[in-house]
Amino acid sequence: MPVNISAGGGGDNVSRSEYKDKDKPTQIRYSNITAAKAVADAIRTALGPRGMDKMIQAENGDVTITNDGATILKQMQVLHPAAKMLVELSKAQDIEAGDGTTSVVVLAGSLLDASANLLARGIHPTAISEAFQRAAQKSTEILESLVTPLDLADRESLLKSASTSLNSKVVSQYSSILSPIAVDAVMKVINPATATNVDLKDIKIVKKIGGTVEDTELIDGLVFTSKTSGAGGPNKVEKAKVGLIQFCISPPKTDMDNQVIVSDYTQMDRVLREERAYILDIVKKIKKSGCNVLLIQKSILRDAVSDLALHFLAKMKILVVKEVEREDVEFVCKTLGCKPIASVDHFVPENLGSAELVEEVQTGSSKIVKVTGIACPGQTVTVLIRGSNKLVIEEADRSLHDALCVIRCLVKKRALIAGGGAPEIELSQRLAEYANSLTGMEQYCFRSFAEALEVIPFTLAENAGLNPISTVTELRARHAQGEKNAGINVRKGAITNILEESVVQPILVSLSAITLASETVRSILKIDDIVNCVH
Amino acid sequence: MMSLNPVQIFKMGAEEEKSETARMSSFVGAIAIGDLVKSTLGPKGMDKILQSSSTNEALKVTNDGATILKSIGVDNPAAKVLVDISMVQDDEVGDGTTSVVVFACELLKEAESLVSQKIHPQTVISGWRKAVDAAREALTNAARDNGNDPVKFKEDLLNIARTTLSSKILTQHKEKFSNLAVDAVLRLKGSGNLDAIQLIKKLGGNLSDSYLEEGFLLDKKVGLNQPKRMENAKILIANTPMDTDKIKVFGSRVRVDAVSKVAQLEVAEKEKMKLKVEKIIKHGCNVFINRQLIYNYPEQLFSDAGVMAIEHADFDGVERLSLVTGGEIVSTFDCPEKVKLGTCKLIEEVMIGEDKLLKFSGVELGEACTVVLRGATQQILDEAERSLHDALCVLSQTVKETRTVYGGGCSEMLMADAVSKLAAKTPGKEAVAMESFAKALRQLPTIIADNAGYDSADLIAQLRASHTSGKHTIGLDMQHGRVGDVAQLGITESYQVKRQVLISGHEAAEMILRVDNIIKAAPRPRAPDHRHH
Repeated sequence: MPVNISAGGGGDNVSRSEYKDKDKPTQIRYSNITAAKAVADAIRTALGPRGMDKMIQAENGDVTITNDGATILKQMQVLHPAAKMLVELSKAQDIEAGDGTTSVVVLAGSLLDASANLLARGIHPTAISEAFQRAAQKSTEILESLVTPLDLADRESLLKSASTSLNSKVVSQYSSILSPIAVDAVMKVINPATATNVDLKDIKIVKKIGGTVEDTELIDGLVFTSKTSGAGGPNKVEKAKVGLIQFCISPPKTDMDNQVIVSDYTQMDRVLREERAYILDIVKKIKKSGCNVLLIQKSILRDAVSDLALHFLAKMKILVVKEVEREDVEFVCKTLGCKPIASVDHFVPENLGSAELVEEVQTGSSKIVKVTGIACPGQTVTVLIRGSNKLVIEEADRSLHDALCVIRCLVKKRALIAGGGAPEIELSQRLAEYANSLTGMEQYCFRSFAEALEVIPFTLAENAGLNPISTVTELRARHAQGEKNAGINVRKGAITNILEESVVQPILVSLSAITLASETVRSILKIDDIVNCVH
Repeated sequence: MMSLNPVQIFKMGAEEEKSETARMSSFVGAIAIGDLVKSTLGPKGMDKILQSSSTNEALKVTNDGATILKSIGVDNPAAKVLVDISMVQDDEVGDGTTSVVVFACELLKEAESLVSQKIHPQTVISGWRKAVDAAREALTNAARDNGNDPVKFKEDLLNIARTTLSSKILTQHKEKFSNLAVDAVLRLKGSGNLDAIQLIKKLGGNLSDSYLEEGFLLDKKVGLNQPKRMENAKILIANTPMDTDKIKVFGSRVRVDAVSKVAQLEVAEKEKMKLKVEKIIKHGCNVFINRQLIYNYPEQLFSDAGVMAIEHADFDGVERLSLVTGGEIVSTFDCPEKVKLGTCKLIEEVMIGEDKLLKFSGVELGEACTVVLRGATQQILDEAERSLHDALCVLSQTVKETRTVYGGGCSEMLMADAVSKLAAKTPGKEAVAMESFAKALRQLPTIIADNAGYDSADLIAQLRASHTSGKHTIGLDMQHGRVGDVAQLGITESYQVKRQVLISGHEAAEMILRVDNIIKAAPRPRAPDHRHH
């Protein structure tokens, strides 16, 4: 009588021989490690300023070109469960630090490699896992001793760290333009003296095709990508009174179904007349409040604004921007200091916001509406990204996001460390030293952990076309002589004092990369079976 | 030739497995289930990946027996019994879900060898029954009760939390999480209502960034232009449509002969909404939380009145909110005097990771609190939630039943010792069954030691020797791979959990052993499929 234990095809696992019992977990562990390493290897070449980009084609034919680890992994659609965990890892780094999404995966891959070797020596996985956690803890201690404290007023250092992040992206040649934008944007939305976090939702990024990335600008105000509506209306208003409405200026519609029954010719005339009168009445009320710029929220139930209404508004010299998304309403209100108006009865001057200038600007083949010189600005800014094609814009957006995150990290934890692989080598050496004070298996694990950290400078050198072995060994030698800040200068292709080259990064990026990577590696190490389940 | 044909008793398609075959199929099924989960046992147990056959389903990484068994599909009756006891254990006490399955499986392994020695299953069963009584008595005698001494009791709770968490993903942060879990449970003041403890998972950060927050967190936003901070809030919790109260008769429509009349109707609808909002405000609330959407117009009315309006709170959130703030969920607003409003001292926005949440502090139900979990991946977060849930369950059980016993294999050895002693005194075949029961009990520490990669034979022999010589606090010290005094190590478990493992493990094993016939009902006949012909 065959006994089927697991409906998910696990029936063949039913073997009670001791031999198999020990064999299977090992195989599962190696398969997990191999799969996770494959993911890490796939994005390894994207690390660093000379890292290469990946072209990803989605199922529907959309193409993405990027250098951002989190984006590559998100699009890759991996199947293996352990590989999925690495994708999650890079997502977590994205949330926590925003930058270093490639490094964290490469680091995890290297730690897994190290643990595979340790496993092969017969060390129990939980022993490795515990040692790695302690090593990660020790690493954070060491890293914190390497930092240079930072004052948020020190714009120079902020710029340096933003450009370090941007230098490894596709848009690196524009880092001199994008990094001041990133720094200024963050500084505008926070109070540098008290802030401990930045809500990046206060920085709105608007993308518009046309021009080049050089034309990207920071606007202290608002930008709408749609053009003004209504023929004959103004497209430039000074001393604007801006109203944001959430009701519709179109023929009335009830929530119940309604039918207007027209039985003869005169009635038809009357219906038309009444419709005009109804709309005119609303428009007059709007005009009466002194409003001369009208923003209209998109409506799905009916026309947000009818052609007739647009005509009247144009005649009254009111500038109209329609199709404002509901999600954007809060941002618009915060920026302009206005209140959304949900019914015409509420259309009173107190609910309006005011701005120096609202104008429609021609950009390439399309137009945008800019609102500047806001009277009582909320703490928000808008960044308008330009680029010659969609791919470049998307990548510029991602890079700018990373740069903003770097600045946010510095707001959260005001300390910098060197870049260019310097902290990793230093960390590796200090850990190895510390390992000597330990006994037993822990020493082995610490050593492997320390060696695994060298993957970052190794890969940096490899991607820059340097000889990785000679570079890393030279780095080791320099650090052993006490040059804490010696790192790989990719531009010169040599090892120099990396602080003098102004390659710096926030400590939070490195800290979270190490803690997150080791946490994931530990969780992979502890897995000894993959069970297929049913619903 | 009729006489040679077997007499057909069952319907076509029904199956019957008899005596030896039936027993074998039960044993094999149950033992396979036990073997599947046994590697997760103990502080150095391993995790499993649960992969769903549909690709878009998120995968799980877990160490929790109940979760593993819930997810696998089982087609063997005996295996199903084991899955069920694990579920029951989860419902009853929340922890020990793996131990109970492993114990039942070890009992069955013993039974298999006894049956093959031609000992009748009923003899085995009666021996086991005497053994389980002896074991329970030994366990009860060994249990300590510090329920009357708050300081010692808290120490007990902390030890239990540490012991439970040490076999889970949170083991590296067990100090932090055991304090957190004990604080949360002690806030409940013995009510044991775990609903008042909310677990919120936020990706990012790492496990050590998790924290306990008094009050309640709601993952929602305040409406536009409304106060983002509200002191001494009076909360009206509602489940009502805030777009329009429509006439819900199908096909109802109005006929008019002029646009102005449509406009009038529109105004009338608006007025109705306004009236509803006024009615709501008349309740004297300054916070309005609705389960359904709040549209722009009512939202504005609320902001005019300075009321904080929160839309689209999910069902779970609303129920919990009503529990912790003491308010009722209402959907009609005609008699304000009858409605009980929820209260809390302060509502404000807090930022966790990248998201803003609303925090309700100083709520009516003082015991309510929220645990915010942070972790590197979704899997880690989910597993942390399950682990913490287990710990909370055990702790709330312990608050009710304050007796505790020692863990680390110590209680099992103690029980095994008592059973062995009884077996030595018992004449007859039952003694063999009792001895096998003791052996099964000893298997639990053996597996724990095996999972950690230590020499189990040596350790268990040492343990046995110490217990026989009367040292009843000796157990496994898995940090160092040796035997040690668990009283000093602080490895403590809830008496309730241990007892439940013993009793339901034994019950399940007995039930499976009693089976001598498996009858599978004939599948429901289906109409023949003619479409292809």
